[in-house]
Amino acid sequence: MLSYALRRILGMIPTLLLISVVCFIVIQLQPGSFLDQYLEDPRVTKETVATITRQLGLDQPLWVQYLTWIKGIVTEGNFGYSFANGRPVAELIWERLGWTVFLAVLTLMVSWLIAIPLGIYTALNRYGIGATITNFLGYISLAVPDFLVALLLIALVLSAGGTNVGGLFSPQYIGEPWSWAKVLDLLNHLWIPMIAIGLEGVAGLMRQMRASMLDVINQDYVRTARAKGLAGRAVLWRHAVRNAVNPLISLAGLSLPTLISGTIIASIVLNLPTIGPYLYDSLLNKDQYVAMTLLLFSALLLLIGNLLSDLALAWADPRIRFE
Amino acid sequence: MFNYSRSTLALISLALIGGALAAPKKVDGYNSLGVVKGKAGGNMTLALGDSPQSLFYYGVIDNNLGLISQQLFDGLVEFNFSTYKIEPALAESWTISPDGKTYTFKLRQGVKWSDGQAFNADDVIFSYKNIIMNPEARAGDAGNFKLDGKDITIKKVDANTVQFNLPRAAPAFLLQQRYFIMPQHKLAKFSQDGGAKAADINNAWPTNVAPSEVVGTGPFKLASYTAGQKVSLVKNPNYWKVDASGTQLPYLNSLDFLIIRDPQAQVAQFLAGNLDQLNISGAQFPDLKSKEVAGAPFKVVRSTALFGSPPFLAYNFDAKDAGLSKLFGDARFRRAMQNAVDRDRIIDTVYNGLASLPGHGVAPVNTQWYTNTKAQLGKFDLAAAGKALDALGVKDTNGDGIRNVPGGKNLEFDLTYGTDSSVYPAIATILQSDFKKLGVQVNLKGVLSSKLLSTGLAGDYEAILAAFGDQPDPELRKPIWQPGGALYYWHRSTQPATDGGTPNLAKMAPWEKEIYNIFNSAATTTSASQRKALYTRWQLLFAQNLPVTPIAKPENIGAISNKYGNYIYNLGVIPGYNPVPLIYQK
Repeated sequence: MLSYALRRILGMIPTLLLISVVCFIVIQLQPGSFLDQYLEDPRVTKETVATITRQLGLDQPLWVQYLTWIKGIVTEGNFGYSFANGRPVAELIWERLGWTVFLAVLTLMVSWLIAIPLGIYTALNRYGIGATITNFLGYISLAVPDFLVALLLIALVLSAGGTNVGGLFSPQYIGEPWSWAKVLDLLNHLWIPMIAIGLEGVAGLMRQMRASMLDVINQDYVRTARAKGLAGRAVLWRHAVRNAVNPLISLAGLSLPTLISGTIIASIVLNLPTIGPYLYDSLLNKDQYVAMTLLLFSALLLLIGNLLSDLALAWADPRIRFE
Repeated sequence: MFNYSRSTLALISLALIGGALAAPKKVDGYNSLGVVKGKAGGNMTLALGDSPQSLFYYGVIDNNLGLISQQLFDGLVEFNFSTYKIEPALAESWTISPDGKTYTFKLRQGVKWSDGQAFNADDVIFSYKNIIMNPEARAGDAGNFKLDGKDITIKKVDANTVQFNLPRAAPAFLLQQRYFIMPQHKLAKFSQDGGAKAADINNAWPTNVAPSEVVGTGPFKLASYTAGQKVSLVKNPNYWKVDASGTQLPYLNSLDFLIIRDPQAQVAQFLAGNLDQLNISGAQFPDLKSKEVAGAPFKVVRSTALFGSPPFLAYNFDAKDAGLSKLFGDARFRRAMQNAVDRDRIIDTVYNGLASLPGHGVAPVNTQWYTNTKAQLGKFDLAAAGKALDALGVKDTNGDGIRNVPGGKNLEFDLTYGTDSSVYPAIATILQSDFKKLGVQVNLKGVLSSKLLSTGLAGDYEAILAAFGDQPDPELRKPIWQPGGALYYWHRSTQPATDGGTPNLAKMAPWEKEIYNIFNSAATTTSASQRKALYTRWQLLFAQNLPVTPIAKPENIGAISNKYGNYIYNLGVIPGYNPVPLIYQK
C-alpha cells in the first residue's frame, strides 16, 4: 500500500508538468494583455505601458517566461508574483485559502450528512410519498443554479428586513478579534452560502446514493445475509450501505478541486472572500502567474483527491487491494 | 494681452494670499450645495468594487486604491466643489511668472502628517522627483513632465516654497498639480534618493503593510485592512481643514470601505443598511427611487456630470476594406449616419432618462470651456439620412434591401461593443436596428469592455462603441482629440512614424489639420480668453466633422442614507475632489 501510494505520488510530477504547459499555453492564447485594462486611464501613457511590460518581463519570449516560472517553483518554491498586487502569488493565495477551505469543508460535510441518509431513505421507500417529495425537491435543486438560489435567499432576507445579505460578517465584525458575538454573527451569515452552495451537492449526492443503494440491495450477498437470518438493520448498515457508499468515496475525491473553481459565481453574488473570484479576475486580467498557479493548484488537488479516494476505497472495501 | 494676463494673475494670487493667512484651510461657501455646519463623530461605510492591489497609490494603476487614497492624501491644489476652479490645498498660494514658465508654490505652514511629523517642501520635492516624475513608477506621470521633449524641473526655494520651471508655457500645468504628495520619511527607503532602484518604489506599501506605515495628510488614516473584505480608516487628528465655524474636519470619526464586487450585491447591502452611500447606474435607478418614494430611509440624488465617459460611435477611417475606409473617412457619410442615431430613444430606454445630450469633447456642464453645439447634433430622421446617403452615391443598386458602397459591395460592417456593460449591448442593438431600416447592415461583434481600447488602438475594427472621459480642461485630453495623438484611434494613419515624432500631417483632412494646430496653440497660450476661442473653434469643427459621433452624457446618480448630512455627489476617483470630510452623521 505504501509503495503504491509512493508510485502514485511520483507519477504526479510529469502529469503536473504537462498540465503546467497546457495552462501556460491556454493563458497565452487569450487575446490581449494584462495592461489592456489600464489603457483608458488618463495616467497611462505609451511609455508607461512599455515600462510596465518590461518590469513584468512580458517582453521576454514565451518559453523564457515559462521556464523562469517553473524554475522558480522547483528551485525556491516561488510561484511567481501577481502583476496586479506586486506580491508573491503563494502569499496572496494563502491569504484567501482559510475561508475557502472552511466553507468548502463545511458545505461538503453538511451536504454529505443530509444527502446520504436521504439517499438511503429514498432508495428503501421507493414508492412512498416522502421519497417522491424528496426526489422532486432534489430534481429542482439540481436544476436551479447556485447563484440563483443565492439571489433568491438575498431577496428573501431583504424583504424580511434582515441585514445579513452577503459576506460572512456584518461590517462591524470584519477585522475584529473573535468573540461570541462574532461567532453568532458568522452563523447568522453562514446559512445562506451553506444552502446556496450546498443544495446542488445535496441533490446530486442523494441521487448517487439512491442509485447505488438500489444496485446493492438486490445483490446476492444482501439476499444471503437476509437468508442467514441477520436482523434487517444489520443487513442494511453492515452490508448494503457499506458497499453502496463506495462510488461516493471516489466522488468525494473528485470534489476537491471545486474548492477553487466550483463556486465562482455564487461567491461573487454572495461576496464571499474565497479563491474562486480571485481566479476569475486573474483570468480576465491575464494576471498570468496567479491564474497559472491556481489552475495548477486545482489540478494538483484533483490528483491528490483521486489518490485519497483510492486509498479510502481500499480501506472501505476489502475486495480492493494493491499488492 | 500680455499685461492683461499679468495683472489677472497678480490679482488672483493676491486674493489667495489674503484668504489663506491662517494655516488651516477654511472650507466655506458651499451653502448653495446645501452644506451646513455638521457635528463631529460617527461612522460611514462605503463600497469598494474590489480589493485594493496595494496601498501605495503610485505603485499600481487601480481605481479601488484610488478611492481609498483620496481619503489619505492631498495634492498641492484641489477643485472647488461647485465651480471646479482650482483652489489652494497643500499649497497655500502660488505665483505664475508672466511668461507662464515658472510656477512657485508657497506651502501651507503647520501641516502635519498623520503620524505627527511636519510636512514641508522636502516631501513635495521627494514626491515629484522620486515618484511622480519617475518613469519606473507604474502609476507615476513622468510623461506629463516633458514638454516638446524637454524636462520640467522642480527645485526647493526654502522650507516652504517649491518652484517648477517649464521649458515653455503650459496653461493646464496648474490644474494637473493635484498629484497626491507622499511622506518622504516613510518612503525614502524605497526611492532612488534612499539608494534603491527606480523601480523599487512600486514595492512600497503592499497590502500586508503595517497600517502605521501608511502616512498621509488626508482627512483619514489607515486603521486596518482585512484581505478581500474591508478597509477601515479613522479620522486624521492632524488634518488641515476646518469648517466655516472653525471646527476641525473631517466630521466623521471613521470611514469603512466594504469590498463588494457585484453591483447587485452592493445594492442589496445598501438596502440592508450595511452601506451608507452608493453610486448607482441608470438601470438601478427606478427600483431604488421607487423604494425612496415608498419611504425607505435613503435618498437617490441625481446630478449632471462633468467627468465621466460619454459613449460614442467611431468609424475606422483606416478600415481594412478599401471601400469602407473611403466612406468612413468622408465627413458627409458620418453626418448622414448621425441622423440615424436615435439619441432620444437611447437616453430614454438605455439610461432610463438619466442622461442628456453630449457635447463634443467637452461636457455641457463645463461652463469654462463648453460651446453649445446642440444644433449640430441633428435630429433622428431616417428619411433625411437616406437622402444624404443617396447623394453620396450610396444606394441599393442590386435590390437586396442593403445599400451598396460605390463600386458594388454591400454597405455592411462590424460594430465592436463591450458585452459586459450595462449600456453598450443595448445601444449597439438600437443602432443596428435603425441602421438596418436605412439599408445599412451592421453585424454586432462583442468583446470585453476592458478590451475595447486595445482593439481600437490596434485598428482591429470597422466601427466601435467606446467611451472617453470628459475632463475639466481639453488640454488634459489632448492625446485623444488631437489628430495623430496617442489615443486618436479612429484614424491611426495620422500617427507619427516614431513615438513622440511629428504626426503624419499628410494623412490628415483639412479639418483635422486645423484641430491639430488648435491643440498645439492652446497648449502654450497663456491667455484664457484666447484658449477659450481656440477650443470653441475645435468643438465646432468636431461637431461638424464628427471624428467620432458622441451619443449621450450619462448623469451621476448616488444613493445616500438619511443618516448623513452635507452629501455632495461622490465623483469617484478624481484627485483633488473630495467632499467626504464635510459629511456628518446626524
